[in-house]
Amino acid sequence: MNRHGFFRRALDRRAMLRGLFGGALVSVGVPILESMLNDHGNAYADGEPLPTRFGLWFFGNGVRLNSWLPVNQGADWQPPAGGELVPLVPHKDYVSVVSGLNVKTPRHPHHSGISAVCSGGPHLKVDNVRDTIVSTFKYKSVDQVAADHFQATTPSPYRSLEAAVTRFRGTDEGTSFQYLSHNGSLNGETNVNPSEESPQAFFNRLFNMGTAAPLVLKARASVLDSVANQITALEKRLGARDKERLDQHFSSVRELEKRLSAPFAECSKPTAPGDYPDLNGDEQMTQKNQVMSDLMAVALACRLTQSFSIMFSTCGSGVVMWPAGSKDGQHYMNHTEPSPWTKQHSSVTFTMEQLGYFLGKLKATPDGAGNLLDQSSILVCTEHAEGWTHSQDDMPMLLCGKGGGRLKGNVHFRGSGGNCSRALLTALRGAGLPLSEFGYEAGKTTLPIAELENA
Amino acid sequence: MGLTHGRFKRASGRARRGTSGIVGGALLLAATLGGCLGAIGGLSTDGGGTTKPANKVPFKPQPATIHRLTSHQLQNSWSALFGTELVIPIASSLPSDDQAYGFRSISAAMRTISPLEAEQYEQATYAVIDQVWAKDGWRDATLGCAPTTLDDPCIRVYFAKFGRRAWRRPLVAEEVDELVALSKKVDAFTSSTPEALKFATASLLQSPNFLFRIEQGLPVGPEDPEHEGLFKLTGLEMATRTSYLLLDSPPSEGMLDAAEQGLFDNPELVRAALAYTLDQPEARGPLVRFFRDFMNIGRLDELDKNIELFPAFSQTLGPAMRTEIEKLFEAKVFDERGDFRSLFTTRTTFVNDELAKVYGIDGITGPEFVAVTLPNDGKRSGLLTTPGFLAMNAHKTATSPTHRGRFVRMNLLCQDVPPPPMGVSTALPEPTPSEPKTLRERLEAHREDELCRSCHQLMDPIGFGLEHFDALGQWRDLEAGLAIDAVSDIDGRPFDGAVELSALVAELPEVGVCIARRFYQHATARLDTKGDRPAVDSLVMSFVESDFDFRALVIDMVINDGFRYVSAPKETP
Repeated sequence: MNRHGFFRRALDRRAMLRGLFGGALVSVGVPILESMLNDHGNAYADGEPLPTRFGLWFFGNGVRLNSWLPVNQGADWQPPAGGELVPLVPHKDYVSVVSGLNVKTPRHPHHSGISAVCSGGPHLKVDNVRDTIVSTFKYKSVDQVAADHFQATTPSPYRSLEAAVTRFRGTDEGTSFQYLSHNGSLNGETNVNPSEESPQAFFNRLFNMGTAAPLVLKARASVLDSVANQITALEKRLGARDKERLDQHFSSVRELEKRLSAPFAECSKPTAPGDYPDLNGDEQMTQKNQVMSDLMAVALACRLTQSFSIMFSTCGSGVVMWPAGSKDGQHYMNHTEPSPWTKQHSSVTFTMEQLGYFLGKLKATPDGAGNLLDQSSILVCTEHAEGWTHSQDDMPMLLCGKGGGRLKGNVHFRGSGGNCSRALLTALRGAGLPLSEFGYEAGKTTLPIAELENA
Repeated sequence: MGLTHGRFKRASGRARRGTSGIVGGALLLAATLGGCLGAIGGLSTDGGGTTKPANKVPFKPQPATIHRLTSHQLQNSWSALFGTELVIPIASSLPSDDQAYGFRSISAAMRTISPLEAEQYEQATYAVIDQVWAKDGWRDATLGCAPTTLDDPCIRVYFAKFGRRAWRRPLVAEEVDELVALSKKVDAFTSSTPEALKFATASLLQSPNFLFRIEQGLPVGPEDPEHEGLFKLTGLEMATRTSYLLLDSPPSEGMLDAAEQGLFDNPELVRAALAYTLDQPEARGPLVRFFRDFMNIGRLDELDKNIELFPAFSQTLGPAMRTEIEKLFEAKVFDERGDFRSLFTTRTTFVNDELAKVYGIDGITGPEFVAVTLPNDGKRSGLLTTPGFLAMNAHKTATSPTHRGRFVRMNLLCQDVPPPPMGVSTALPEPTPSEPKTLRERLEAHREDELCRSCHQLMDPIGFGLEHFDALGQWRDLEAGLAIDAVSDIDGRPFDGAVELSALVAELPEVGVCIARRFYQHATARLDTKGDRPAVDSLVMSFVESDFDFRALVIDMVINDGFRYVSAPKETP
């Protein structure tokens, strides 16, 4: 089997598909093959630029800084012996480490951390009537910022895809604790893109929908058009928060309608992954990480989307990292384990092994003249530096992928207390977003991390 | 099933328990509420035994909102439209119900519909109507006719009639026009007239008018000076809100008719109709689900304990623990009735074989639950000693006096506990092998450090009283060989161990207030604010008056001003 044999559809589908989707000259639903490219392999033969992908990969509860941080700064970072980044060494050409940047928005345990590193803005305390906090993101998470850009320029069938590896086992503290991808919420409405946690359901949604007759798709699209009109009519009569909620409903319906109206080539079906129910109460997280990573790689290769997020564990996650020897929920373990935080260390190391699998999968997936990781910009982050103190200084962050040549990789940039939004700005620029500033309120920055970018 | 017109008529003859006890109730209120009055909003009593607001907080409820149907409500809504033979899409294929401030109802009042969820609704809608349209008889019964052309006048009748049931309000002519126009548009893509109508039906069922409960109300004018300037929910909105509150189901056509004829402006008729409805088996599930949220025991389905430390643990034990607590609630509210607070002191409970082992009760076999009376040995009584409560508010390997106390403080006393301050290490000193310590002794560190103490003193002392129960809720005489000290206090009221703690909690005035208040939050799908106080106070009073009868609380909630009035919609600032 040649290396593209994985994909069923033939190359000539692309020509047929061009112009169907959103009227733009794009190709979707088929992998990008070398034979489609110009002589330099850096654009399509007709000059159309190759798509970059943006990703957000999140894990909860922070790290143990002294074993996380590389021993050196600048190019060719090295982890300390037994450090938490050791599992990423095989991919380090594609991985830059960002440290020494802080959360600048008003602080609150967990809540401000995840909002800052995923959206560049403050969290929003919902219904401010008591001390106990329920929060959501006030501004959209970076995967949605990237999705807005991609859909406006080179639209994909799915504006974004969201997957989770471990389950939500946190507390009832709002969407900040339960979800990763947010659409922003100025009025306290709950506006999230839930992550799919079941590999089989994720597979069914993307690759196993069956083929509906084109006329049925048209009828379904017409139905959605009428639903959108009903939303518009209803919206006029409602208050601000409900308007925001229905605005999102409207966008969601239009998104689906557009997808039904513009058929795209189906990716070749990957093998059905099945589900991984708990074994004796233990989440099969290694296996789930593998199949979710594999499915996401196919979806990205087929251009089903250009923007994705993977929630390895939630903010304040109570997942039991049993493969790393932990016997208690991560959040509790992290808060109660005494120095030297051995289990926290092994949990983070294990988490980085899982990230390493995903990066390896992208690296092994051809895309254009190189691989998917060459064409991706992936922000890896967590809501605390160290969970047991809820610290939000010196945030541990990684920038993975070469961003189509925009990112260097293999650099350790260490700031001196600057704004952690700088990493978000740099990651978005790495995916080709023409931004010179990013972030909101106290989280706003105008300083990309030039040290990580190719001039 | 719904509040049918017929039932409502039959029920309307029943007299409600007389209100002659109101003065006595108020005296009891005065005696019971004691010092907590300020906490819930200015109730006081005068010497004459009547109750009135101490300093008039004006009634200003929150603005109306729309409520996304929960998965139960959505499933029941499909059933109501198409009949019980329908194979209903399973909850895991539908948008999930989250909890906000404990309640799925509050989350439903905040949720949008994301792209993924729009997809899920679309899939589910066709999964439902394809079943109906696959059988000509079922389809024609739904349509009410067998049209062969889209100009058949029965089609407008179908949209009007089916639409009213689906949207819980009459459709205006333009809305029917739109559906006819949609049918004609998709007719070009389909093989038959009924098929075109299937797609128009799909539009009705993906509409925000179906997927959300829409509430707006109408402005109240000078004819009602007490509520002037507020918005009053319409009869149809009340029928919908009440039906989903009590039954998690849409109002029946009879209920819609009655509501249009002014049912909800007649509190005595509403009382009678609701009393009848609460006697129906369908009323149990939705109120049990309220209690599931109230106690936050949905999480027991994912209970996870270390099997080496707790050999009695299994994957089915957590759900069994939840079932026990729900059965306790159901028995109290629907079978025994009486003082709801006796849930904290009862020694009657329900166990199956696995749960009996946790209790240390011999002779129970099989997975079916049976009623048992716990021995009067001073170890256990009521909710706070159920394995479900104890295990859920504990960690995988260890108990947590903090979590147990926090739950009591926040969820049963409706008091606030702030989160830990930033930058403080939460790690506890490890005991050394030469100097072993109980968890209580280790937690003393929190009480010595001033930063920690201010909050932990609200939580830990309550939990200390429950330290005879391990992380699975099993009785233990010793903790790792050390004696357990369960002598403690709540806000200066001393107790020794769980049974005394439970008796104390049952009598705490804050508890009765909190139950009523949290039902108010669930029913209105909002945390109450200052403007809700007069309505909450009135609900609390009636709860006390009813001798803490939970069914009376439900009925009083529906006729409470807080359930009927909303403020003008809030515009973008």
